[in-house]
Amino acid sequence: MKLYDYELSGNCYKVRLFLSILGLNFDTKPIDFYPGREHKSKALLSLNPLGQLPIFEDSDATFCGSDVILSYIAENYDKSGFWYPKKQRLSIDNWMRVADEITATASAARLHDTFFYDLDIETARAGAHRLFRILDEHLWFSEKRGDDWLVETPFPTIADISCFPYVALSEEGGISRMDFPAIRRWCDRVKRIDGFITMPGIFPTSKAA
Amino acid sequence: MKVDLSQWHPVASSSDLPLRHVYQGQLWGHELAIWRADDGHVNVWENRCLHRGVRLSIGLNEGSELRCLYHGWRYANRTAGCTYIPAHPADAPARTVCNNTYQCIEKYGLVWSAVAPERSFETPVTLTDTAPLTLRAIPINAPSDLVQKFATDYPYGMVTHKSDTSMTLQSGASELQLFFQPVDSGKTIIRGLLIPQPVDPIVALRHHNAMMTALRDKIELAVSGLSPPRAIEVEFKPVAKDLAQMPNINTAGPKVEFRAKVAKKWITSQNVMAFRLEAFSEQFPTFQPGAHIDVSLPNGMLRQYSLTNGPGQTDHYTIGVKRDVASRGGSICLHDDVQEGDVIAISAPHNNFPLRRDAVKTILISGGIGITPLLSMAQALKAQGLPFELHIFVQTAADLAFPEILHDLDGLTKTYMGLSPRATRNVISGVLANYVAAQHVYICGPGVMLEAAREAAKKCGWPDEAVHFEYFKNSKEIDYKTTFEIALSRSALTLQVPAGKTILQILRENGIEVPSSCEQGACGTCLMTVIGGEPDHQDVYLSTKEKASNQKIITCVSRSKSNQLVLDI
Repeated sequence: MKLYDYELSGNCYKVRLFLSILGLNFDTKPIDFYPGREHKSKALLSLNPLGQLPIFEDSDATFCGSDVILSYIAENYDKSGFWYPKKQRLSIDNWMRVADEITATASAARLHDTFFYDLDIETARAGAHRLFRILDEHLWFSEKRGDDWLVETPFPTIADISCFPYVALSEEGGISRMDFPAIRRWCDRVKRIDGFITMPGIFPTSKAA
Repeated sequence: MKVDLSQWHPVASSSDLPLRHVYQGQLWGHELAIWRADDGHVNVWENRCLHRGVRLSIGLNEGSELRCLYHGWRYANRTAGCTYIPAHPADAPARTVCNNTYQCIEKYGLVWSAVAPERSFETPVTLTDTAPLTLRAIPINAPSDLVQKFATDYPYGMVTHKSDTSMTLQSGASELQLFFQPVDSGKTIIRGLLIPQPVDPIVALRHHNAMMTALRDKIELAVSGLSPPRAIEVEFKPVAKDLAQMPNINTAGPKVEFRAKVAKKWITSQNVMAFRLEAFSEQFPTFQPGAHIDVSLPNGMLRQYSLTNGPGQTDHYTIGVKRDVASRGGSICLHDDVQEGDVIAISAPHNNFPLRRDAVKTILISGGIGITPLLSMAQALKAQGLPFELHIFVQTAADLAFPEILHDLDGLTKTYMGLSPRATRNVISGVLANYVAAQHVYICGPGVMLEAAREAAKKCGWPDEAVHFEYFKNSKEIDYKTTFEIALSRSALTLQVPAGKTILQILRENGIEVPSSCEQGACGTCLMTVIGGEPDHQDVYLSTKEKASNQKIITCVSRSKSNQLVLDI
């Protein structure tokens, strides 16, 4: 398994995080995303014509995009079957769409603030706030039901892995999570999954007793 | 909008504070870090580590202490006092290193606080004797006065009561209490309580969540296009001057400034009486593992006892006192004369036996009642998940003090009973064999055992700095016969110390205040730096290496070999 990886990318982190949780060994090839724009180089475009990270190779196959990679890994390497259960796939896929929206807003705001991308920061932040309100409300009522995760399962799924990174990195795009206490508690729960790893900007939390 | 910092407001729901979480809140622009310790106590602190200003809401709630994520400074439950600074692993942080805290109270499913309260919390009349349902709080990007105006149209019965901070709506036999938390000039959180609990709480929660979300959207639409009001300017209190400077060496000697109530007195083991001392005000000062307090006894004596408390237990202190018939009467007085309900005077904790938390492994060795400071250390190490072992030497099983604490340390302790001095020495040699760099050993027990342990450590290659010890008392015969001169470099004074008097006494007689505690060369409180001359060490506090360096002196017992001793005071 080989991951074309950029340390500061939340989407690459999704893959690293999931592989670490499953305890799988993999090789990484560091890509100079910023300032080198290596993901737009000829060599990388031949792997992913969209010019995006992450790119993942396993055996002879190549996969692009974090959601595709997460579901591929879950289907082929998750022995427990908890991470992408057949019964909940629609619901999980739905939350992965939300994760894409989070990338389009919260991650865009972070690209503006920390990688100097030229984009409409106010629109990006407003979009993230709107999504976070939905997410917080959903998680608050999940907690009341006794559920810890995005999808109504006793275990976390790749929906949680997919939504977590750009939520947890939102402050780097100037988006505070103070108004979203249920999101903040969910972040603590994700950080307490066995095998959790950090990345720059995503900190550990304390052990739960 | 009128800013009234004295008002009490709900700032979080009880359910916002699950196990080991730090909630991020705000009131009148003041950011708050709100966290519940494992003992249930809710802390409301300024959301700013006093060290480098990083938000404590991204810190780690470790159950009894909050650790700042930046440099790892640890702060105690309740007092917010610093208990450990990783960059200074061998030192005990000063008691005055303390974060800013806010008063708070948890009631009716909400946590209440005020920025600058003028009165203590008063229960809103409508809530007396109720167990309401706490609704989901809704933050609204609008000033609180505007939110209150819109809220009068909230679709629920009739408004029956209004105040600056809340509103009551009545519908049949049910009541809805709305609180308006002014987060900042342009943001308000509505917190609702429903009285009584409805039959189906989830339905009610969903219903009011939908209603309040609609209210939020209506209000935010009304203010959209308006430029948001200026944020409330928050004044950050600078760190106290005395914290930013080197402290003067002039704090007075034994000072028993705290009154404590003997809340509980019980026999914890054969001949050992335990005392639970409680503060009259809410809490005692911050302590660190290894600390002791001076206790003023009804018979006029002053005695030192180590605290056995675990981390973050600042609402009470616990000490263990061994009945010693041969002693000078301190233990007998505590055993026989001090009763539950009595008030005694105690000092703030001193820590001359600080615990490092950077050891690859910590070995704790206790003999008899020497277990007390090591119990505090063991609990702190356990809470932090640091590797340690506690070796307990006692005569019989009946001598095991504080079994309830030992029970919690199950699996990390090893007990040895009724060993001869020789067998004890052998066991200790075995425990200390295989020294690895960055291990530390802490020993507390009778003098003979301490000497044996120190000797064993030396033989096994332990460096002096890795061997920490605390004697109960100095059983050496002190020689007071010499006469010499002391030159005080900072005070520009030269004084004579005659036979029969100590350096400490002479300093005090000349108006120089020196902190002290045991005054028999065991505790280390009256330690002073030597600039010139050769001290005649008679204490049991300094290590062999420290003594040989001639740079430190314990002024209550030690004297001078040279005619003159130059002291840094």
